[in-house]
Amino acid sequence: MGSGRLRRVAAVAANTFRESVRERVFYNLLVFAMLMILSGLLLARLSIRQHEKIIKDVGLASIDVFGLVIALFMGVGLVSKEIERRSLFPLLAKPLRREEFFLGKFAGLALTLATNVAAMTAGLLLTLWATGARPDLRLLHAVYPITLGLLLVVALALLFSTLASPTIAAVATLCLVAAGRLSDVVRNARTVLPNAPAWLVEAVYYALPNFRNFDFKDRVAYGEAVPAATLAWVTLYAVVYVGAVLAVGVLAFRRRELH
Amino acid sequence: MNDAALEITGLTKSFRVGFLGRERRPVLRGLDLAVRRGEVFGYLGPNGSGKTTTLKILMGLLRPDRGSARVLGEPLESAGWRHRIGFLPEHPYLYDYLTASEYLDYAGRLFGLAAPVRAERSRDLLRLLGLTRSANLPLRRFSKGMTQRVGIAQALINDPELVFLDEPMSGLDPIGRHVVRGLIVDLKSRGKTVFFSTHILSDAETLCDRVALLRSGEILKVGRLDEILTVDVAHMEVLASGVAEAALQSLPGVLRRHAIGERWRLEVKEAGLGAVVGAIEAAGGRVLSVQPVRQSLEDYFFNEVVASGSLDQAWEAGD
Repeated sequence: MGSGRLRRVAAVAANTFRESVRERVFYNLLVFAMLMILSGLLLARLSIRQHEKIIKDVGLASIDVFGLVIALFMGVGLVSKEIERRSLFPLLAKPLRREEFFLGKFAGLALTLATNVAAMTAGLLLTLWATGARPDLRLLHAVYPITLGLLLVVALALLFSTLASPTIAAVATLCLVAAGRLSDVVRNARTVLPNAPAWLVEAVYYALPNFRNFDFKDRVAYGEAVPAATLAWVTLYAVVYVGAVLAVGVLAFRRRELH
Repeated sequence: MNDAALEITGLTKSFRVGFLGRERRPVLRGLDLAVRRGEVFGYLGPNGSGKTTTLKILMGLLRPDRGSARVLGEPLESAGWRHRIGFLPEHPYLYDYLTASEYLDYAGRLFGLAAPVRAERSRDLLRLLGLTRSANLPLRRFSKGMTQRVGIAQALINDPELVFLDEPMSGLDPIGRHVVRGLIVDLKSRGKTVFFSTHILSDAETLCDRVALLRSGEILKVGRLDEILTVDVAHMEVLASGVAEAALQSLPGVLRRHAIGERWRLEVKEAGLGAVVGAIEAAGGRVLSVQPVRQSLEDYFFNEVVASGSLDQAWEAGD
């Protein structure tokens, strides 16, 4: 990608980031997530042992769930709203290619999510510190894969946002995320549907985004480290899947007629 | 250097309509058009005649079914000409959360302009369009006319050679229209080409070197306004004051009369002009002006539309 292209993608990304952080809903969600993380303090008091584990459990789950909500709600409107309001018309008349616009939108929301996850992680570490527990940087072994999973959600939301209205895009993304989180159920589908062809079940299993690959919350809450090789494999999986979804999104957006 | 700023050849576009989109409704039917460098070109037509569709195809928002175009000598598919043009869409919607300055800076970044150039051009354009005091307000607080002016500013941020303006006067108050008219005249004086679509015919009459008249996706006529609009020397228009209506009622040769305040506008046969002027003066009135009847663009357009079909047909194509 030439420097001109990179500059244009960066301009769209910077504008998308600015758009996201000026949305009131972003702050509402962030504050709510912080409250959830802090509520871990309260829950920890109810437990005689394992204060630290409860705080980590609640904190990591909050990062995961609120990150998902932000990725979903902001991602599904990213392109469709611009088409609906026609705000991208004057932009696409400039030397800005559609793929640059699309990738810029992705990069902008990815940056927003990374900022959001970083803020929530800092909140979790501070909560642990406030209870006298040693801030455990191994938490990052769970936070990093969560962030990769959220990037995949953004890519899917962006793809559907290019093809459909925000509502339909939200439903489609949510369905895929749910199916991806329950991928083991898909793999074992033949126990309920014995006549289903094995190759079809396998194909669906591998085609679905496997969000379980990004879930190390339990291991990390118990104080286990995640091996570097595993993290590298998860990174590769995310890069390939996100890349494929973005490629399909770019193709769809290029073909779309903008009335 | 190629003399044409814009060449369109056989441009055809239809939209899918009906259940499952099986039918196609033609919107542009083999459009041929050439715009010369340095001219102000008016693209005129009623609502739904295909003006906006033409512009959307040129800007790459829609794909044509057939046909081709060259912009500033380069094929439509090439990206190079996009650095040298500006575009204002119809009813622009800009970003609520940005200020006018931020929006212009964003537009400038997409052209790869350096930060000091972006800052200087933004400042100049905002001053030119009377938006300096609102430069740092969020665009959601802008009126329709102010938004339109910011839209025009973003179309000029790269100092383009060719500017496409889709209904540039839409939503503007009289002061805004005056400013934009001045801006278009200024662009022409600096050798720029302006292509603007409008259905406000008085704007075209004031500004355009040449116009194209579009109806139902077809070009009716292209040319200079004085070539298109006929001057009817057999009929004269007399403007008179200080004469009572009763004195005008009995005058032979007066075909039509309209009161404009204290004045009268009379349409008179050329052969009876002397008698009418004499009668007005005899009745104590004054003849303020006499000139041949000139068909207005609106008259021309309406006659063409009504002569060749119904009003429904004129509006049917849809942009």
